[in-house]
Amino acid sequence: MPLAVLILGAAALCAPTLRAQGTAAPVATATAKPKAAKPHAAPDAAASATPVKTFGNKNAPITMEVFSDYQCPSCANFYEQTLKPLLGPDGYVAAGKVYLVHRDFPLEMHPYSAIAARWANAAAKIGRFQDVDAALWDNQGSWSADGNIEKFVAAALSPADFKRVQALLKPCSAVAPKSKADRSAPAADLGCSVDPYIVQDIGLGYSVPVQATPTFVIIYKGQKYPASSGFVTYPILKQFFDSLLSQ
Amino acid sequence: MTTTTRGSIGWVLLLVGRLALAGIFLFAAYAKMKPQAATGWSLGTIKTSLSMFAMQVDSYQLLTPRLVSPAAHLLPPFELFLGVWLLSEVLLRYSAMVTTLLMGLFFATQVRTYRMGLEINCGCFGPGERLGPKTLLHDGSFLALAIAVTVGAFVINRRKRAVSVDPVSASAISTAQHAE
Repeated sequence: MPLAVLILGAAALCAPTLRAQGTAAPVATATAKPKAAKPHAAPDAAASATPVKTFGNKNAPITMEVFSDYQCPSCANFYEQTLKPLLGPDGYVAAGKVYLVHRDFPLEMHPYSAIAARWANAAAKIGRFQDVDAALWDNQGSWSADGNIEKFVAAALSPADFKRVQALLKPCSAVAPKSKADRSAPAADLGCSVDPYIVQDIGLGYSVPVQATPTFVIIYKGQKYPASSGFVTYPILKQFFDSLLSQ
Repeated sequence: MTTTTRGSIGWVLLLVGRLALAGIFLFAAYAKMKPQAATGWSLGTIKTSLSMFAMQVDSYQLLTPRLVSPAAHLLPPFELFLGVWLLSEVLLRYSAMVTTLLMGLFFATQVRTYRMGLEINCGCFGPGERLGPKTLLHDGSFLALAIAVTVGAFVINRRKRAVSVDPVSASAISTAQHAE
């Protein structure tokens, strides 16, 4: 009897909220088409180190910064299940509600993640980040096994663009920068023009602080919300965005 | 130690345990519902905070998105209710039992998630705390406390009933009568 009273009491307390909230759509219905329309990217690398790794309108009310590691399985899952619908034609990025920022946070434990980040940043420098980003996530299982990232980057770009990216990475001979468990500054190859981008992202990650990948930070009307870690489905993320937009 | 002294100690321990559990639940509810950014309290910010909590519930990968939202919106108000119920001391055996069941559920979920290797935020007291050994330790301690309070509440209630049957023992457990 007291249990029944408790449940009824809690239900009564929450009923208006639940009615207003409705129920979220199941994951399956939210899965995006593989080749979704891509919102514009700003290819102006000279202006700032980060805008080339962004999706959507910079003036969107919500900014979402995602710290990820290209070799992390949860990050790939997050990209496939959550970010793809967000970036799709019916997603909130295309609708101008969300500005998505990619941040590199390669973890020490993954042997190829920092190299993948180099490829992505080189592509970002020529304004082709989105193609390479998608190729890296879509084929993570393949290149993670043998480290042959180049094959998938080449498939994602035109031959001319691929040559430009290759040329950018040619001077990169030292080990690519990775985040450290002790949060010490990662070493960057001074001759490698993309390493500063990765080092900058890792530094930003330390300040969050990023403790695991994926981690994302949401900013709405200049207010930064606490970082969230782990895989979150698109319907639940969308529900959070809706609650922000209805404030 | 006399029976009266033992009864007094038992009553004090039960009081402390009950108040601690009530405090834990009230704080947990507050931490989940408070504005998560530097904004004031309003229905909108509470809704946003609960939606943010829903993301934490979702990251446990235990419930489908259809169930995540109701669970995330029900749990903090229920924690608030449970905290108030524990404070009120009304039907203490039942409130303690519900607390133990809820704590057991939380603890089991956390152990499962930790064993799966998911690197997520606990969500126990709002966003920020990473699920790890520290979280398991404090939630395990809370579970032990809830079990102790439940056992204590039942023992005291039994003594109280014994008194009503055997008035001779009344002086020995007078403190127990105060507790109920």
